[in-house]
Amino acid sequence: MCLAVPAKIIETDGQQAIVEIGGLRKQASIVLLPEAVTGDYVLLHAGFAISMIDKKEALETLLLFEELAPPGGRPGLSGPGPEDGDLGLKETPAADDE
Amino acid sequence: MNNLPVLSYLDEFRASGPAGRLLDRLHRRPERPVRIMEVCGTHTMAISRHGIRQASPAWLRLISGPGCPVCVTSNYDIDSFIEMSLLPGVIAASFGDMLKVPGTRMGLGGARARGARVEIVYSTLDALRLARENPDCKVIFFGVGFETTAPTVAAAIAAARQSGASNFFVYSAHKLVPPALSALCRMPGLAVDAFLCPGHVSAIIGADPYRPLAERGIPCVISGFETVDILQSLNMILDQLDSGDCRVEVEYARGVRPGGNPAALEMMNSVFAPCDAGWRGLGTIPASGLTIREEFAAHDAARVFAVDASYSREPAGCICGAILTGQKIPPDCRRFARTCTPDHPVGPCMVSSEGTCAAYYQYEFQD
Ligand code: SF4
Repeated sequence: MCLAVPAKIIETDGQQAIVEIGGLRKQASIVLLPEAVTGDYVLLHAGFAISMIDKKEALETLLLFEELAPPGGRPGLSGPGPEDGDLGLKETPAADDE
Repeated sequence: MNNLPVLSYLDEFRASGPAGRLLDRLHRRPERPVRIMEVCGTHTMAISRHGIRQASPAWLRLISGPGCPVCVTSNYDIDSFIEMSLLPGVIAASFGDMLKVPGTRMGLGGARARGARVEIVYSTLDALRLARENPDCKVIFFGVGFETTAPTVAAAIAAARQSGASNFFVYSAHKLVPPALSALCRMPGLAVDAFLCPGHVSAIIGADPYRPLAERGIPCVISGFETVDILQSLNMILDQLDSGDCRVEVEYARGVRPGGNPAALEMMNSVFAPCDAGWRGLGTIPASGLTIREEFAAHDAARVFAVDASYSREPAGCICGAILTGQKIPPDCRRFARTCTPDHPVGPCMVSSEGTCAAYYQYEFQD
């Protein structure tokens, strides 16, 4: 019941927002997360954004998992990336990510 | 722009590569009996579905606690809400999870068959919309859920008061997780060495409320929901037990701030006040529930609608209570898979998609 899914804020209008989840757009409330702005990733629960997703923390966790992955095997990232298996996770987070 | 990879925050964490290594780490640890309790239905399902219990070393026991809000809701609350749904002019609105839960005399589905208007909603705002669209009816929403959900219900009550939706009511059966964990630890004979703490409850409440448990020597790790998250959290717990340094740690740092979500907490606390609450399996726990504050009394179904559910009792032969406290597992129940199946559930632990009996039946049971 406490399920929450990652969603991207597409636009906000007061306490309302349009969010995108897996390519689908829907209405959501940001009354519980007033700091959310366009472009943020949030956790969406029962139509409400309840928490910001922290990109730096996400990358650090992935990096940790990547270090644990079998050598030469698929690291913690799926999807497009450099050929050598290092998917660029080790790049320092850019300043404009804040 | 930056040169960071684009993340979906889902697929990346589902890559299976690191899982094997994390599992190896578990197996290389010194053997000794350890019992770790998860207290979130989503963790319960993930542990069953991905075979984490079977893949873990035999000395490590993963047990389910009171992590499914539907399951811990007492029959008294279910029966009270059903009685309300049968009152004339009422629209009973609920999350879908509650529909099939059997009450003492009937479930919400049964009430519907008797003419009650029961509407399943995805969000509390949908329930509020129902109230606006049906000004001649009284819409009563069944407020079931932990700290993750309670702020969304509070937001709907606050919006109802602000917009003058005087036909919107909530029957609040909300429960708070940390008081239940403390109560569990005080139960005689219950041996839990550590808690795998719920990710989305903690997104609201943060890490602090678990601190008293850690101070009593019980590691608490707030975990994400993917296989790698759970395996990593188990290793973090065992690291703590090995070092003897028991703390609250956040594995799910991408979704949980140490201080939680202050705006959501403020919303929850402005509408609700803590109250004693009856939990299935745990009995009454002080300050473990949420009641609607006086200022919002006009929207409080428990104050507005007088119903009698004194006939309530628990289903015969069902050991959900012992399962919710980790004292028994579903195969210990004589009805499990015999007279109690997802198609013909006897207790809520088999009904709810996140119930421990349903998880065992679906993923860990062979005929
Ligand atoms: S198997 Fe059915 S009857 Fe037994 S504890 Fe689970 S829900 Fe209750």
